[in-house]
Amino acid sequence: MSSWRSLVLRIGEKCAEYGGNADYKDQLETCFGVVRRELLHSGEDILSFLLQCAEQLPHKIPLYGTLVGLLNLEDEDFVRRIVENTHDNLQVALDTGDNNRVRILMRFLTVLMCSKVLQASSLIVLFETLLSSAATTVDEDKGNPSWQACADFYITSILSCLPWGGAELVEQIPEEIDRVMVGIQAYMSIRRHVSDAGCSPFEFIDDTSQTDGGKDFVEDLWSRIQDLSDKGWKLDSVPRPHLSFEPQLVAGKSHDIGPLNCPELPDPPASFTGIAYGKQKHEAELKYPHRIRRLNIFPASKTEDVQPIDRFVVEEYLLDVLFFLNGCRKECAASMVGLPVSFRYEYLMAETIFSQILLLPEPPFKPIYYTLVIMDLCKALPGAFPAVVAGAVRSLFDKIADLDMECRTRLILWFSHHLSNFQFIWPWEEWAYVLDLPKWAPQRVFVQEVLEREVRLSYWEKIKQSIESAPALEELLPPKGTTNFRYSAEDEDQTEHGLSSELNVMVKERVTSRDIISWIEDQVLPSHGLEVTLRVVVQTLLNIGSKSFTHLITVLERYGQVIARICSDQDKQVMLISEVSSFWKNSAQMTALSIDRMMGYRLISNVLRNAVSKTFSRITDLRKEIASLKKSVQSVTEAASKAQAELDDAKSKPTLALVDGEPVLAENPVKMKRLNSKVEKTKEEEVSTRDSLEAKEALFARAVDEIEALFLFLYKSFSNVLAAPLQETEGSLHLSGKADEMAIDPEDTSTMELDKEGEISEKSHSNGGKTTKGYNVGEKEQWCLSTLGYVKALTRQYASEIWPLVEKLDAEVLTEDVHVLLRKAVYSGLGRPTDF
Amino acid sequence: MASLFKDPNKLSAYRDRRFSGTQEEFDEALLNSTTIYVGNMSFYTTEEQVYELFTRAGEIKKIVMGLDKNGKTPCGFCFIMYYSREDAEDSVKYISGTILDDRPIRVDFDWGFQEGRQWGRGRSGGQVRDEYRTDYDPGRGGYGKLVQKELEAQRQLVDYGAGSLGSFQPILAPTYGGGRHGGNYGHGGNNRHGRGDFPRKRQREDDRRGPDFTRRKSDFVYRRNPDNEPRPEKNPRFRESGDSDDDEDDDRKGST
Repeated sequence: MSSWRSLVLRIGEKCAEYGGNADYKDQLETCFGVVRRELLHSGEDILSFLLQCAEQLPHKIPLYGTLVGLLNLEDEDFVRRIVENTHDNLQVALDTGDNNRVRILMRFLTVLMCSKVLQASSLIVLFETLLSSAATTVDEDKGNPSWQACADFYITSILSCLPWGGAELVEQIPEEIDRVMVGIQAYMSIRRHVSDAGCSPFEFIDDTSQTDGGKDFVEDLWSRIQDLSDKGWKLDSVPRPHLSFEPQLVAGKSHDIGPLNCPELPDPPASFTGIAYGKQKHEAELKYPHRIRRLNIFPASKTEDVQPIDRFVVEEYLLDVLFFLNGCRKECAASMVGLPVSFRYEYLMAETIFSQILLLPEPPFKPIYYTLVIMDLCKALPGAFPAVVAGAVRSLFDKIADLDMECRTRLILWFSHHLSNFQFIWPWEEWAYVLDLPKWAPQRVFVQEVLEREVRLSYWEKIKQSIESAPALEELLPPKGTTNFRYSAEDEDQTEHGLSSELNVMVKERVTSRDIISWIEDQVLPSHGLEVTLRVVVQTLLNIGSKSFTHLITVLERYGQVIARICSDQDKQVMLISEVSSFWKNSAQMTALSIDRMMGYRLISNVLRNAVSKTFSRITDLRKEIASLKKSVQSVTEAASKAQAELDDAKSKPTLALVDGEPVLAENPVKMKRLNSKVEKTKEEEVSTRDSLEAKEALFARAVDEIEALFLFLYKSFSNVLAAPLQETEGSLHLSGKADEMAIDPEDTSTMELDKEGEISEKSHSNGGKTTKGYNVGEKEQWCLSTLGYVKALTRQYASEIWPLVEKLDAEVLTEDVHVLLRKAVYSGLGRPTDF
Repeated sequence: MASLFKDPNKLSAYRDRRFSGTQEEFDEALLNSTTIYVGNMSFYTTEEQVYELFTRAGEIKKIVMGLDKNGKTPCGFCFIMYYSREDAEDSVKYISGTILDDRPIRVDFDWGFQEGRQWGRGRSGGQVRDEYRTDYDPGRGGYGKLVQKELEAQRQLVDYGAGSLGSFQPILAPTYGGGRHGGNYGHGGNNRHGRGDFPRKRQREDDRRGPDFTRRKSDFVYRRNPDNEPRPEKNPRFRESGDSDDDEDDDRKGST
């Protein structure tokens, strides 16, 4: 790396490139001095590298802006090209919906304005373009309010620039910026408040108790910006290196940028029904997702000294680093730790990362990425960060009963993985009291599941040792993961025992699956009946495959056909599943894995019936079933998207073939001949792709049908399963604080009884006066709550697949007499407005 | 995403000598592969543990455990095949260098599993690195195979425990199945780079060293009085040591 590159790259860091001098002014002078000398030879390289740095290291944008400002004094034309490039990139980003890039390039333009590179009025023109597009979108007559997510994004992008250049804009062109602010105020009054309860990590939370006063993201940012404006645009989180160079910079030429266009949005639906609106809204929200939902998990005392706007800026920094430095472990951790702010922000950092792990419906990256970041930060800040992480865990643990079901799972996976990287050290004695809670209490379930995952990542004895400080918790460890083979003991039925040994020998001797099938059909089935046959075959094969994941796969690969022959219909598949569960009753992991693989080999087509048709089971069972159910849904949707992709692919092929067939005009006969044969070949290919296109279309149509049937069945089953328990527990489910649709009946006897139990556990819990609700909920109530939670989470996860079916769903499942809470769960999972 | 810090020319520092094609073909294979190689694993780590960890980067198609070619027991590496390239990339990005079973493991792209690659390529059956290692690594069978041999030879000459072995501890490396001394795998770290008596690796075959991790500090503590002294414990996962199931080898072959 040549020297100018490393200077540009490392600017703002306390590093060797600058001899450990972290003073911005000195660094800028050094860097400018070197870059200036290289402009003539490496202009192109410098231009593209500078832009790259500005885009990918946005927390250093003020430094890059100032550097460009200094270069502007040296080479006006070079800087003109930087501005033009930025403009063009911004237009591309707007057109392609590259939201992060839009935001960052606008910030860069703002900073260029501060360095006198860009005319302030150009920035205002850009703001007004976005503002007017946003205002049109939310206009009910002229626009398409279902795309408010896009409009909100534009407004957010404007507001996000102001911490970086608000002071300069007010100083240079007060009337114009004022006009923009008035415009935003007007926009705020037209837009609808976004109530995304379905994607809130804490469900059924009393809206008014939220610390942000129930503001949605844009409202919240707007209030922070107003606060900033009231404070004279002064903030601690944005460095202003251009100020030290102001006397020079004013001499530079301020450039202008051309106009920018916001892409056209889809027309509003022809019939303005709730469903049509909801579908478009869903589409818009997928394209313009929320970046963050604040968790507010720490007591205000930990973060209150940070000004509202500084909190926003630091969150921006952190999210940008997480986004742009994904995959660069060292750089990512170093940048997160070394943000250019003058205050401490460990709590804010932890809260921001946790908000990403728990972001609904989906975080930008897999949760394991954030797991890694937290580990790296614990190593980078060993004195400070682990304690903050522990604080976050405690706080989330206290609120676990309110946490979304999906978020609970993510938290469990994260926590177990995190502990596995730090020798499984955790003060478990703090949580020993969960043993006094009823089995279904969310905190107890949480501890149990964390321990189970730890055992999976490690081994039983190791985890047993890690809970030494609270030995009683051993009760919550999973059973040792040994198999439950029916024919291991001698006292089992001798006939079955014999059959099992016989089959075992055959497998060891590599008898083909065809021969085994005929053995079964000739000798076993006729004399012993289906039930015995199925039990013997499944138990024996599972036992042979029980040594490891690979053994299981091998057995299924070789003898899957045998199972398929016996379990030919759904009822028998249900028997198969229960046999698997019985064999692996001590290992949730292997149960799930076996069912998963059997689905892979198409031995089990659909676990739904089994999963949902059982009424009222214990929560732990439910958990397992939900897992396999999710898998089932996932495999169907994956099949569909694959079919879709293949279909698209196939569709594009005939056109390619035609293009290939074009150049037959060549004169050279040899070439002609070759081309001719090529044309023939492509034509043949074309025919075959057309054929397969039809096949694929059929396949796709079938997949779509399958999804439809699956989801309708799923919701019907949920509705059936929930109907009775919901009736019985009517009144004792204290859900939404608003309790709008529910008649609460506090006289319900079952609740009173259950409350007593709750009191007992409350006593044993009184942990530093923290109150935790949730365990004073009875088993049935908890079951209903969890199941509703799963319905919501599942709906949210597959919202894109479910939206096209909404009309049918309304007609067939969510009818008048369906329980209001189920409807609420589905609606909030879909993010479907209820007030239409 | 960030192109600033990535060196596109460096897909993997390791080049498998058994790969028959050119360097370009090798790079091409690495770029498109959905298979990853996991190294520096403990011999005791089970497939299920591997599955639990790596499934967090995406759905796994298959796991092939690396086996000692003599003992047919795990020898500290494995191949994992994912269904999608993206998941394979994520597992390299997010899991390499993190801890599995108390050890920092290494995750790399692999050019693709072929029958035969599951066997250790060292003279004694395990991985080449375990031939020449001079440190004591309880998770990987104690000292390296050559050191073990030397220890064995010296023991026959000298009185047991006479201390003539200098820096070596008078513990014979546990044989396979002899239980493990978990937690303190770093012990003996003094000799990690110490002795030059043994030839450095002559060639790098399917044997990659993990990044040079220094001992982890155990200062990530959530309570006031940390009692994080690692204590030795037995690993119960391999009680039945030698009862080699003669079918295992075939099963694995059959599954490829």
